[in-house]
Amino acid sequence: MSTSPTPPPAPSIDVEGIRFSYGDTPAVDDVSFSVAAGEILGFLGPNGAGKSTTIKMLTGQLTPDAGSIEMLGMNMPGERQQIQERLGVCFEEKNLYLSMTGRENLVFFAKLFEVKDFEPEPMMERVGLSARLDDRVSEYSKGMRQRLMMARALVNTPDVLLLDEPTDGLDPVSAIAIRDLISQEAERGAAVLLTTHDMHEADTLSNRVAFINQGSILTIDTPEALKLAHGQRAVRIRTRDGDGIDDQVIPLDEADSAERIQTAMSADDIMTIHTEEATLEDIFVEYAGRGLA
Amino acid sequence: MNGSRIGTIMRKDVSEFARNPFFVFITLMVLVAWVAVFWFLPTSVDETIRVGVSQTDLGALLPVGDQTEVAGFALVSFPDEDELRNAVEQGEDGIVAGIDFPPEFVASAAGGGNPRVVLYVPAGIPAEQQTMVEGVIGEAAYALAGIPPPVNPITEAVVLGTDRVGDQVSLQAQMRPLLLIMVLMVETFALSSLIAVEIQQRTVVAVLATPVRVVDFLAAKGIFGIGLAFSEVALLGLLIGAFAVNAPAIVVILLLGSVLVTGFGMIAGSYGRDFMGTLMVAMLFMIPLMIPAFGALFPGSAPTWIQLLPTYGLVEAVVRVSVDGDSWRQIAPALLMLAGWGLAAFATGAFILRRRVAML
Repeated sequence: MSTSPTPPPAPSIDVEGIRFSYGDTPAVDDVSFSVAAGEILGFLGPNGAGKSTTIKMLTGQLTPDAGSIEMLGMNMPGERQQIQERLGVCFEEKNLYLSMTGRENLVFFAKLFEVKDFEPEPMMERVGLSARLDDRVSEYSKGMRQRLMMARALVNTPDVLLLDEPTDGLDPVSAIAIRDLISQEAERGAAVLLTTHDMHEADTLSNRVAFINQGSILTIDTPEALKLAHGQRAVRIRTRDGDGIDDQVIPLDEADSAERIQTAMSADDIMTIHTEEATLEDIFVEYAGRGLA
Repeated sequence: MNGSRIGTIMRKDVSEFARNPFFVFITLMVLVAWVAVFWFLPTSVDETIRVGVSQTDLGALLPVGDQTEVAGFALVSFPDEDELRNAVEQGEDGIVAGIDFPPEFVASAAGGGNPRVVLYVPAGIPAEQQTMVEGVIGEAAYALAGIPPPVNPITEAVVLGTDRVGDQVSLQAQMRPLLLIMVLMVETFALSSLIAVEIQQRTVVAVLATPVRVVDFLAAKGIFGIGLAFSEVALLGLLIGAFAVNAPAIVVILLLGSVLVTGFGMIAGSYGRDFMGTLMVAMLFMIPLMIPAFGALFPGSAPTWIQLLPTYGLVEAVVRVSVDGDSWRQIAPALLMLAGWGLAAFATGAFILRRRVAML
């Protein structure tokens, strides 16, 4: 008796050929991608590449001129309200109610989601703001506001998280706190779409990255696969040689690679050893012909 | 529409309004200051014209004192010409003119002569008052001469409209619609500012990324705006006695007025970029909307262009109910006009706000 293979689970986000123009100016052109439950897809591109416009179509703020968006098996914008009940969004702008406290902001949005028995304290604890729970948001620093934005995006325990530049301009401590939260949410099973122009963030957080430029996706793959495909399989070993520096690049796929590495490593004064894989930024430049700035 | 979500947004708006020191200040200031101004205004109109005379020897022909205060005219006696002149100059005791009859007036007038009488009038006296006082002098001379005036027509006065002889509208009553409209205007600005801030800080985008629909958001803003404007104008109305006559009609008028200004508040809020920008846009609406209320301070019919302004029906209805005591049937045209303008303004405001939100 043969058993049929289990079909792969439907992606939480499934976007097919969406287009959007602001007047005559195309912003998103034939973009397709999918994000599975528990996956983080990094949308990597410079400012104006079409990342935020894509997010706006996913939140229902904009309706695509063409193409289709399915989220959690439902059509956006056709079943917008049902999707939004299971959606968490962290916007690029800090659109919080400044005259209200952190607690009031969270409780207000929890009520809009009709979350029963919502308690803001554990959520504020998660984002490290429990001590500022009853302070007005106008008194929060930029990093604290961004953490509150993340907490707000999580009040309904969303199945899909759309995060638009969540760590943009933050201090390292706040950025790390937010990245940890994103990882925890993906581990919980949420599908996460993360837009960023921070190559390091995309590299460390994302299961896959999509390069987007001028409204089009250039490529989608795992960071490792991209780096392997576009980088050089080699190690660079720099040693001190008298008053100078000996800089050797040793390919890994040649017959004497191991021997050469061993010889280089036996030197007394090794300064640095690096693999020669490409960075995501290098690869982006290769695809887009421009940098991420 | 989802009532629970609408209620949540409204409670948030009330909270934001109550925490804004500027809104709280102008709201309290308006209530306290305007109520005080209202109750300091005269509640009646003194229609009696007081004329001073320096000669009391005219006997029963020209009696002086309180007993002469009939038909809106009273003579007040002064012992000599200097005191009379001073009283006219200073406007003492409401004296609008002074007549200095010379000692030989009686003898000269009785003998058919032409005695010289000095009439003191203050600068700026209305021409009709001066003519009237001159008539008094002539009447006294005719009476003393024992001959009737040349013509003695029988006059029948026919009053068109409400007869207000002896029952003039007090300044206090005239100010009532103006104060009510000014409160509505203040709340227009408050609502427009709240909406402008919501747009400017893009919090509305976050709200609309939840299951809240645009229609829920618009309904919340509309109900909040109407509630805010109505509660404040009704409170002021209570404090200035606007509900003394036909309270149900006044409630309906103020409710329709609140709908009207909420519509304008949504329009101004949609276009305001910041506090000053919102204030400027709101002022564009507030100034013309207040003109009919100023018009009520002056007698006579309002020009056609004023009658076409959205708040004319509001002012007209308030004046007709609270001053003239008109019935529902009599104020129906004004109410219909107000309701039409109110619905049009509200629908326009909701449409513009919806478009503005969609563009974010």
